[in-house]
Amino acid sequence: MAIITYIEFNGEEHAIAVPAGTSVMRGAVQNAVPGIIGECGGVMSCGTCHVYVAPEWIPRLSERSPAEASLLEEVYDVQANSRLSCQITVNDELNGLVVRLPERQV
Amino acid sequence: MNTLVTSSTTPVYWDTYNPDISANPYGVYQRLRNEAPLYYNADHDFYAVSRFADVERCLSDWETFSSSRSDVLEFIKGGVEAPDGMFIWEDPPKHTAYRSIVSRVFTPRRMNDLEGMIRDYCVRCLDPLVGSDRIDFIADLGAKLPGGVIGMLLGIPDEDRDKVRERVDAALRTESGKPMEINQARYQGDDFEDYIEWREKNPSNDLMTELLNVEFQDYQGVTRKLTREEILIFINVLAGAGNETTSRLIGWIGKVLGDNPDQRRQIAADPSLIPTALEELLRVEPPGTAVCRYVMKDVEIHGQTVPAGSALLCIVAAANRDETRFPNGDRFDIHRKGATHITFGRGIHACLGSALARVEGRVVMEEVLKRFPDWEVDVDNALLSSSSTTRGWDTLPAFIR
Repeated sequence: MAIITYIEFNGEEHAIAVPAGTSVMRGAVQNAVPGIIGECGGVMSCGTCHVYVAPEWIPRLSERSPAEASLLEEVYDVQANSRLSCQITVNDELNGLVVRLPERQV
Repeated sequence: MNTLVTSSTTPVYWDTYNPDISANPYGVYQRLRNEAPLYYNADHDFYAVSRFADVERCLSDWETFSSSRSDVLEFIKGGVEAPDGMFIWEDPPKHTAYRSIVSRVFTPRRMNDLEGMIRDYCVRCLDPLVGSDRIDFIADLGAKLPGGVIGMLLGIPDEDRDKVRERVDAALRTESGKPMEINQARYQGDDFEDYIEWREKNPSNDLMTELLNVEFQDYQGVTRKLTREEILIFINVLAGAGNETTSRLIGWIGKVLGDNPDQRRQIAADPSLIPTALEELLRVEPPGTAVCRYVMKDVEIHGQTVPAGSALLCIVAAANRDETRFPNGDRFDIHRKGATHITFGRGIHACLGSALARVEGRVVMEEVLKRFPDWEVDVDNALLSSSSTTRGWDTLPAFIR
């Protein structure tokens, strides 16, 4: 279990307790956090779960896979700290993780 | 009073063929969610789930709920054989190999790059109506734009696009009250063959040229180009999937906004509301109402065992109004916050064209409202049709105010 903070583009914050083993995308979708769609359910097809990871957390995440990097070329407003949140699996070490949501997914 | 008595004594009945139900299925959907979250229809031998969580679970679990025998109830029951390349009716690893070829083509950013072309086409459909007092959201727009856009993507010349649409529509139309016939599963076709040959000699920057040239690793691990048969199937899948559903979406835009004049005027006054209004529209009236899966192994749902070999309908139109997920789910509310709908499905088979549908829907709302901020649906002359997969308007005339 880890508390993940999702910050909407308008600044609204959602602190959600996400069980270990669940993706950051699913944590948002299951708790109806606006701004993450996650249509493909985590198979890296839709590109609608784009988030910006707070810089201090980047070193603690596994690196982007080639498939993730390739799909990130297709999302809006990609930045150095962009990730697909379906590819970040929550574990206890990620307690306190902060992700910001982009202005648009689609 | 009558309804109350009926609902407490008679078990809920639902199928996708009964025109009385499909005229307004939402009361029945509510009863399904409440009284029969796992529904079994003995007349047609299928199961159905209607709660959001159940629909999401089933669509996400392709290993238990397979698409390998198609996603259409009648075809699953009839035992249709999907040809290689028909990735909507395949599971991994075949599905993965084929879908990956086109998945990068339909991403949000690339689809939004088409916006200018889509808008031009939309304007060409709408401008001739300015000054008149009638619009038919299907004949004037829904029947033209989606086929035109798919045609643009594929590079199909304008004059051939209507033929493509007519053929697909005819193939998947059901007679009122009757199941789809198995011989309607004829996505394969020769109509595009001449075009492919011509395009091979006249390459351009369209999807057809890309399909002719792409190298991919097939499900047996061989790196190769697509065969002619596979390209034909691809084209037919894309044309079939992108046409009717988007046409129905445009019809629902006309109907739902027509029925909600206050919210329509808010949107017309502030077009920045359009993206969320479109999501809300997709939630309350999804063009694709249900998708079917083939149950691969015995599975327990709500305490009952659904046996391997069953057909299970996932009613996305019912899930979208699940009160536990969407408070006041029957209410159209463009200011709704929170959970997103499941109109485009979930998991590996989630709609490939969702980003394209969203651009088309947004452009249609913008361009229609710019010209016609007020209209009233001509209910007496509107015609609704539905099948086991879709529901929407065949004609939707309206009076422009």
